[in-house]
Amino acid sequence: MQQSIPLVDRPADAVLFRLPGRAITAAEFAADARQLADTLPGAPYAANLCTGRYAFAVGFAAALLRGQVSLLTNDRSPDRLRDLLARFPGAIALADGADTGPLPGVTVPPPGNERARIPGIPADRLAALVFTSGSTGAPLVHAKRWGALAERNRDGGVAFGMDAAQPATIVGTVPPQHMYGFETTVLLPMHAACSAWCGPAFYPADIRAALAAVPEDRLLVTTPLQLRALLSDATELPALARIISATAPLDNAMAEAAERQWSTIVSEIFGATEVGSIASRRTTDGAEWTPYAQIRLRARDGELLVEAPGADDHALDDFVELLPDGRFRLLGRRSDVVKMGGRRASLAGLNRELAAVDGVEDGVFVPPDADDHRAAARMTAFVVAPGAAAPAILAALRGRIDPVFLPRRIVHVDRLPRNELGKLPASALQALREAP
Amino acid sequence: MNIETATHPAEIAMQSPFEQELAMLIVTALHLEISPAEIEPVAPLFGDGLGLDSIDALELALAISREFGLELKSDDDRNRAIFANLRALADHVETHRTK
Repeated sequence: MQQSIPLVDRPADAVLFRLPGRAITAAEFAADARQLADTLPGAPYAANLCTGRYAFAVGFAAALLRGQVSLLTNDRSPDRLRDLLARFPGAIALADGADTGPLPGVTVPPPGNERARIPGIPADRLAALVFTSGSTGAPLVHAKRWGALAERNRDGGVAFGMDAAQPATIVGTVPPQHMYGFETTVLLPMHAACSAWCGPAFYPADIRAALAAVPEDRLLVTTPLQLRALLSDATELPALARIISATAPLDNAMAEAAERQWSTIVSEIFGATEVGSIASRRTTDGAEWTPYAQIRLRARDGELLVEAPGADDHALDDFVELLPDGRFRLLGRRSDVVKMGGRRASLAGLNRELAAVDGVEDGVFVPPDADDHRAAARMTAFVVAPGAAAPAILAALRGRIDPVFLPRRIVHVDRLPRNELGKLPASALQALREAP
Repeated sequence: MNIETATHPAEIAMQSPFEQELAMLIVTALHLEISPAEIEPVAPLFGDGLGLDSIDALELALAISREFGLELKSDDDRNRAIFANLRALADHVETHRTK
């Protein structure tokens, strides 16, 4: 018989999600999901475009119950939606107000007051497809099976010491369509002793209000960028049990400052869209990461493979040193991947798009320092393009690359400092960047 | 080396004195390589206009809070309208500033 894993592995009256002025229990969530599932039109795929976290969670669960695969995309531009429909014919869109473009839209209704029994879902059911930027421009697709997502929830609950005797409340600042936000703020409450805040939590004022609105133990799930904003705002916050950061490395000084200012613990999650969260560490304890309980790391042909229950093996983008006690250290990126605002792109792919712009004879993207968390730390493009002005180049790139990677500066040069092999050595790029 | 700005071409419209002040703050806070006068009062700040995104919104909210004592919140129903362009943002900040 096929293994089944419950949608929610919590008591029926446990609070899973918190909207302003309203707490939603496991039984109520199950009822909302069931009701929406019954009204969904038949479709193989459902793009979940909801901006509200609870609407997103209900949309995801309803699609799961109906056997519709959720497509998770942050990019709601008409181009992207058209592209989704072309790649996933018959897809519908679940939304809570956003324009669904060419996709037939279904509006996720506000929470009701019914209760329902919690259903089980086959472990091998395809639950969601998530996307990463490929080096050729077309996004790569990664499949998430229900069993793999549920097992990772259990690991996450253990890693962060979640205890049914004192359930935690998560205030997350990361969108639910991002793998990190999906895992920590939508999925985790289904299988670990915590609830997730579903009201606004983007600006420092939102975060402060959200934390004040929820019970202890409070966990803030965020990014280095937003942590920096909170710190620079010198914000007073309600008692915080823990801050969890991911999407980019957090420097030790910022972690120390946050721990001091709010008398809390700052942890980081290490993961990737392809495999989800796989390890954690307390930043101020040192550089060593502790893998989640069910994660195995294995070296093969110079690559480090991540083995996780229910998921395909995944080779990490990073060089990793495995330690005898099972922990690991990161030694730097293996590939040409650049990360920004929680998104990834291949530098080679970006450079190819730049070279394809009319009038650009040669060009290269230069990323900012990886530990620069200022909003101003963006891409610079150096171009040899006597006939193409910066606004024209920018207009051509828009729509072809993720907007977060659009160059903030486009610098015209007479030639790029290519070596005799036609390559651009890192030192030459550094010199370009530092030129006045 | 000829540095050009990667933003909207300059089509200069009249900025009010407060819009000038706010434009200066935007350029400084986000390290934009344009002159404040180049920000069109009614051109979109986000997306196709000036090309700002949510990362910039966060930085800009901080700068506005520091400078004018006004905190932006995303549960404000008018949030999208407030950030629509320089003129709308200036109106909102001027009305609600506490310093």
